[in-house]
Amino acid sequence: MNARWRSLLLLVVFVTGCLTATIAPARDTLTFGVFAYRPESIMRERYEPLVRYLAEQVGAEVKLEVLSQENMSRAIAANRLDFFLTNPSHFLLIRSERSLTGVLATLVRRAGDTSTASLGGVIFTTTGRDDISGLEDLRGKNIASPGVHFLGGFQAQTLELLEAGIDIRRMNRVRFVDTHDRVVRSVLSGDSDAGFIRTTLLEEMALASPGFLSQVKVLNRQTLAGFPYLVSTRLYPEWPVVALPHVDERDVRRIASALFAIEPEDEAAVAAGITGFSPPADYQSVEYLARTLRVPPYDQIPQVTWVDVLHQYRIWVFTIVVLVMLLFSGALWLARSRRQLATQQKRLKRLVGDWPQPALLIRDGVFVNTNRAAVDLLRYASNASLHGKSLGVFSPEIQPDGQLSRQKLEQILVRVRGGYVEQCEWVLQRSDRSEVWVDMTLAPVQDERETEPVILCSLYDITRRKRAEQRQRLAASVFDHAREAIFITDGHGMVIDANDAYREITGRALNRAIGRLPPLPLEEGSGVFASARHQGFWTGEFSCKHQNGEALVLAMTISSVCGDRGEVSHFVGIFSDISRLKEQEQKLRVMAHYDSLTGLPNRVLFSDRLQQAMALSRRQGGKLAVVYIDLDEFKPVNDAFGHEAGDQLLIEIASRMRSVLREEDTLARLGGDEFAAIVMNVQQADALEGLLVRLLARVAEPVWVANHSVEVSASIGYTLFPQTDDLDGDQLLRQADQAMYQAKHQGRNRYVGFSAPSG
Amino acid sequence: MQRRDFLGFSIAAGFSMAGLAGCSKSGPLVFGVHPWIGYEPLYLAKEFGWLPTSVILSSGSTSGDSMRGLLSGELGGAALTLDETIRVWSQGTELVVVAVADVSAGADVLVVRPHIAELAALRNQRIAVELNGVSGILLLKILEVAGLARGDIITVDLPVSQHAEAWAGGEIDASVCYEPTASALQREGGVRLFDSSDIPETIFDVLVVTRDTANRNPGAVRDLVAAHFTGLRHLVRSMHDAVYRVASRQGIEPVNVRNALATVMLPDLAANQRYLVASGRVEAMARSLSRLMLSEGMIRSEPGFQRLCDPAFLPRSVP
Repeated sequence: MNARWRSLLLLVVFVTGCLTATIAPARDTLTFGVFAYRPESIMRERYEPLVRYLAEQVGAEVKLEVLSQENMSRAIAANRLDFFLTNPSHFLLIRSERSLTGVLATLVRRAGDTSTASLGGVIFTTTGRDDISGLEDLRGKNIASPGVHFLGGFQAQTLELLEAGIDIRRMNRVRFVDTHDRVVRSVLSGDSDAGFIRTTLLEEMALASPGFLSQVKVLNRQTLAGFPYLVSTRLYPEWPVVALPHVDERDVRRIASALFAIEPEDEAAVAAGITGFSPPADYQSVEYLARTLRVPPYDQIPQVTWVDVLHQYRIWVFTIVVLVMLLFSGALWLARSRRQLATQQKRLKRLVGDWPQPALLIRDGVFVNTNRAAVDLLRYASNASLHGKSLGVFSPEIQPDGQLSRQKLEQILVRVRGGYVEQCEWVLQRSDRSEVWVDMTLAPVQDERETEPVILCSLYDITRRKRAEQRQRLAASVFDHAREAIFITDGHGMVIDANDAYREITGRALNRAIGRLPPLPLEEGSGVFASARHQGFWTGEFSCKHQNGEALVLAMTISSVCGDRGEVSHFVGIFSDISRLKEQEQKLRVMAHYDSLTGLPNRVLFSDRLQQAMALSRRQGGKLAVVYIDLDEFKPVNDAFGHEAGDQLLIEIASRMRSVLREEDTLARLGGDEFAAIVMNVQQADALEGLLVRLLARVAEPVWVANHSVEVSASIGYTLFPQTDDLDGDQLLRQADQAMYQAKHQGRNRYVGFSAPSG
Repeated sequence: MQRRDFLGFSIAAGFSMAGLAGCSKSGPLVFGVHPWIGYEPLYLAKEFGWLPTSVILSSGSTSGDSMRGLLSGELGGAALTLDETIRVWSQGTELVVVAVADVSAGADVLVVRPHIAELAALRNQRIAVELNGVSGILLLKILEVAGLARGDIITVDLPVSQHAEAWAGGEIDASVCYEPTASALQREGGVRLFDSSDIPETIFDVLVVTRDTANRNPGAVRDLVAAHFTGLRHLVRSMHDAVYRVASRQGIEPVNVRNALATVMLPDLAANQRYLVASGRVEAMARSLSRLMLSEGMIRSEPGFQRLCDPAFLPRSVP
């Protein structure tokens, strides 16, 4: 409903409008505006005849308005003008502000006998200015111009200068003085160095004042055959006559035909200085000029959309996008790898810095970078105290192998610079002069850009190891050089190592000894290891045989060696050959209990045996007899034939007596020529007496000593055991001694039994 | 004396080729050009500094200079009419048309005595013509349109500059000529019976380069063509300025320049694209012309061109 009403209303308005347009009569007065590019008086003088001519032709009153550009614009805005004549630049500005019917005609200017429909700009200065002869000379000069919207008074010159590389608008030395006449005055008075005016003006002024042209100098003069004016720029079409849209079409037609009808000889044409009007020119060139200079109405930068740009420059845009993307991804990649590198570098630095092993970087022979561990190793306060010093500073003069530190180091560095990695043991001197053994590795860190490679020096403190090695060496020498045999067995007693002494003592070669049991006591065997396991050690002496069958007595100690978990893992045994010691002992024992001359037991052993015999007799209830024997007439033999003869006699007698006695009986020499005997198991007195008789008889047999036959006898006393009283051995022997004395008293060579003194 | 000479005749002496003739082919493109309205854009470009250093204009006084230069190898290219292009090609120098400078639309005229009212009436008439030029082509076309053979008319082979005299002396009944002779004959009572606007898109003035140059120095060729269109834009858009500049260079009145401009069509970039396509108007015309010229004995052998035009050197837009 609403829409329909609105359509109806629109129709009514349209019809009314059309009617008004057709019915409205031609205006009585037409206003013809002319732009006053020169003083108003001159303009009026020139254009009044033209306006009168038009009034006649049109049959209506035509009023002339001579206006400045601003006033003309205002008048047009207020529809106070019906036609106007202005310069093309101003026309473009007006056209941009309101719609016009278009150009009716273009003015054709008279120039003596010829004419032109073109105008241009003039750049001039005074004749006296020798410093200004070309466009280049206008740099930095004051320039007078009537105004921006003057085609021949500003825009034409500006383009020409711009193409010559001079942007006078940027120099800001242009003064706008509103009219061309003022420009000329300004230049002539010297206020401005140069002036911009349109063509024809100089010639017009020359008409008014002859000799004027000699005062001015035109710059960048163009030689254009057939163009009647002085000109400095390229040419543009002359002024347009324009009708405003509100003017009745008939009036426009009439005015246009009147304008075209003007002949050069007509008064109106002559007065206006024109030859008439030509069909409208193409004002494209002026538009192009305004666009190039970006002057109004083309001072706005055109709104170019992205689509326009894309359309126009798609290849460029594509290329740039690709390049930007490449650049961006390149930058990203670079940043990432840079970050990675930085992280890596930081990690590496931290790794080196925090690495528990000392590490240093050497360049040109001196330290350039060190880590904390290196500083600690050398016992310095900070990294800085190491920098700039060479390795030689921290080395003693001579290395343990006897080489000079500096010489040795130099040799090593030469090899490292040659690309080799060098490893050696080195002694360093700390800040407190103490020495430290290190395992030193020097490796070149290759870098193509540097002629002198950086060398990585890594140190490993081996002082403790060195000391352990020393101890081990000592221990090894003990093991190797000990007189005692030393062996090590596994947990089962099998020998795993043994020293030279072991081989010597046992006579077993090492390869035959290893993997077998060591010499062990026969009765216990490998039970000794069990003892050692339980008690920690076993010690003992035992006999065994040398490889060559020789009997040996060994004194051995076996110790258990505990492993990490406290379990017995090894046994260490040490033994020595004590065979000779045992022999010696045996000898000593013989010497203590036997008579050295006769080999018979001595008094000590006799007492001992007597005790044993008595104990046996008491246990078994048998009888024994203690017999005391003293040789008669021994001393004379000794005196007569010497001690040696006496000794031979004693040996012979002792041997004879021994042979008479039984095995279980004991015969001892008590000293000198006194002997004693223990006769076991005396059953009957008769048997004993028989024995004693045999004894006496054997003793009495002649003995051949010292080439003499010697005869001695014996006096024998005896006693029996047990007796009624409990007696000890000494008492028994004394009883026998007493009995022997009785036998002596009774005449020798006889035996007497002990009888208790009656009493 | 060949066609297009009259404009530059008076100033021909002013141009010197000496300094340009020896230029090496691998360096800048030396382009032969002589005064003719269709070639003016190149001169305007040179005057306004729109011609890059890769192109050197070698100004001759007539198209004959350009043709000789092309044949001798002194020039890498030249501005020629299409028939001249065919002549050069037929003499052994392969050429490429890279732009159409103008299309004659009334520049070449047949002026006749008033009693000759139609083309058919030319039979047995004495016609002055410079056979060895583009006028000869026009005459052939006229005969073609008129349905006459060469033998049906009396050909008076005469340089155009002597036509007026011959006309005044009553030695000829018709003249195939161009401005300003055409106007002069009209003032003497001659009638324009036929002109090149009656056979549109037939007489082309083109910019050509040798095949060798097109292959070796394509950048310079592009610069040349771009400069031509920049100059053309000034000529068309700023005609108020251009006519004076052309007049100055050619030493004639601006009004003559305007008249000359009225007799040619100056194809813009889009029209050039259309003309230069494979088997386009120019190539088609060149083929028919070369057949015609061969049959008339103007050339000894038909140039066996597969591809005469190349629009690849045309700029995408005028800067």
